Amino acid sequence: MTDTTEPGPASGRPPGRVLLIEDEPNIATALGFILQRDGWQVSTHSDGATALDAVARHAPTVVVLDVMLPGRSGFDILSGIRSGPRPDLPVLMLTAKGQAKDRARAEALGVNRFMTKPFSNREILDAVRDLAAT
Amino acid sequence: MTRATPTGHRIRERRLALGLKQREVAATAGISPSYLNLIEHNRRAIGGALLSRLAAALRTDRAALAEEGDAELVDALQTLAGLRGTEARALDQAGDLARRHPGWARLLLSEAEENAAQSRRIDALTDRLTHDPTLAEAVHELMSSVSAVRSMASILAQTPEIDPNWLARFHVNLDEDSRRLAERADMVRGLFDARPALAETDLLPAETVARFLDAHGHRFDRLEDAGADAIPDLVAGIADPVAREMAADVLAGDAADAARLPRSVVMAAKTPADLFEAAEGDVALVLRRMGTRDPARGLLVCDAAGAVLRRKPVAGFPPSPVGAGCPLWPVYAALSAPGHLIDRTIEMPDGAAWQAQAIATLAPPVRFGQPSIVRATMLLTPVADASASGRAIPVGPGCRVCPRVDCPARREPGVLTARLDKVDDAMNTPPEPRPEGGQA
Repeated sequence: MTDTTEPGPASGRPPGRVLLIEDEPNIATALGFILQRDGWQVSTHSDGATALDAVARHAPTVVVLDVMLPGRSGFDILSGIRSGPRPDLPVLMLTAKGQAKDRARAEALGVNRFMTKPFSNREILDAVRDLAAT
Repeated sequence: MTRATPTGHRIRERRLALGLKQREVAATAGISPSYLNLIEHNRRAIGGALLSRLAAALRTDRAALAEEGDAELVDALQTLAGLRGTEARALDQAGDLARRHPGWARLLLSEAEENAAQSRRIDALTDRLTHDPTLAEAVHELMSSVSAVRSMASILAQTPEIDPNWLARFHVNLDEDSRRLAERADMVRGLFDARPALAETDLLPAETVARFLDAHGHRFDRLEDAGADAIPDLVAGIADPVAREMAADVLAGDAADAARLPRSVVMAAKTPADLFEAAEGDVALVLRRMGTRDPARGLLVCDAAGAVLRRKPVAGFPPSPVGAGCPLWPVYAALSAPGHLIDRTIEMPDGAAWQAQAIATLAPPVRFGQPSIVRATMLLTPVADASASGRAIPVGPGCRVCPRVDCPARREPGVLTARLDKVDDAMNTPPEPRPEGGQA
């Protein structure tokens, strides 16, 4: 398990924290970089089994959640969030599969946004901003 | 009578040989003398129930009257046209096409078969792309690497000022992910290259095995003589290794059957009952042996889901090439009462009667708590006695290509109803009579 926190906001945006739950370290690094430059405080977490603990610990504004994770799937984590103390926490899910059934399952569990890899950095930033504003 | 003689001429020669008048034969077959006259001069296509009735009137069987391949060719053309939703009038012309341009008719069927095989291959590949866990995992890995490379490349291209430490980190990561991307792409290519069978043939393994068995008439004399030792040579010509293994399994079963019930014993028997004692009461063995050894008999084996595992076709009993068979076939009834022989006379829509003997057997479970495996076997024997039709159970080749409109077991609309209505109309209002002098 890795659990790192990138430096705080680089701009004058209102404070907000993104929890990035992603087990591919280079994707986590790149997304962490662009989110941080966009003004977000970024925490990263790579282990599915303890992801809900990370959600409780970091109290994020938005969660960016990969579907395929070691220990526990993104679907299970989403389900845990929706039945936990912050059921309305905005969640952006990322998947490399992109199958319709995965999207349907995520929507049925109450995902706020579902994106397939490969994504553009701009799409991620726009989605996180939109979710934080809701 | 040579095999090249048209069906109409065969009918005429048979009638004259028996010393019968056209009106006598026509009355027995239930048609007008003028219509029989047209048939005898090959001016009307003949097949289906009418051919069976004429065969009965002339005290012979359909095969003796039908020009070789004619009836089967017409049946196949009409089935194909029916599946494509061809209009009734065109269906009626199948006989003309088969008679006047048999080469083109066979080419048409061959192309249709090829087309169907391609469709099935596409379905198989689609299934594989959707459900193959190895491929899904490989694509997932590939897309993850692509995502990382794309994101980092965008950062490097679009960030005007970047900390040297971050720059160095992205360079290292980019190099790492580009290498991983190449490896994963190679792995995906390897997954396709590793299965040449699909690229070598348009057929699925089960279809290849069915063709192999059909090409040998389901009868392998070398298995009778040499037993299972002959199997490697027999299946050596099958290119697809999966199909080859499946075929070897089928032949291993046949070899075991032959060892238990030798050819000489089977050939001496006239009915399945004659073999009961020699088979030590194994009725399924009796049905399989008679079905595979006798060219005049058909054989069908299915599993508990009704899926056909083996189908030995026989002229006049053409099971539907698509979908399941007729739910009224005794083989399905046998599944509900394993161990009990079901012996029924059935009648196909063309009027031909068949004795269908079916039994289901249970293979014991391999582990405690596991279900037994059920398989049903049906032997089809043509019934020569035309009067048997009266007490036979009406069945069909399968709903989609079955003309029995009011069948209570129908699960989907048929496509041949209009054609049969058209044929009935033609039978009731025959063309202008042109009987030959003194006979009509």
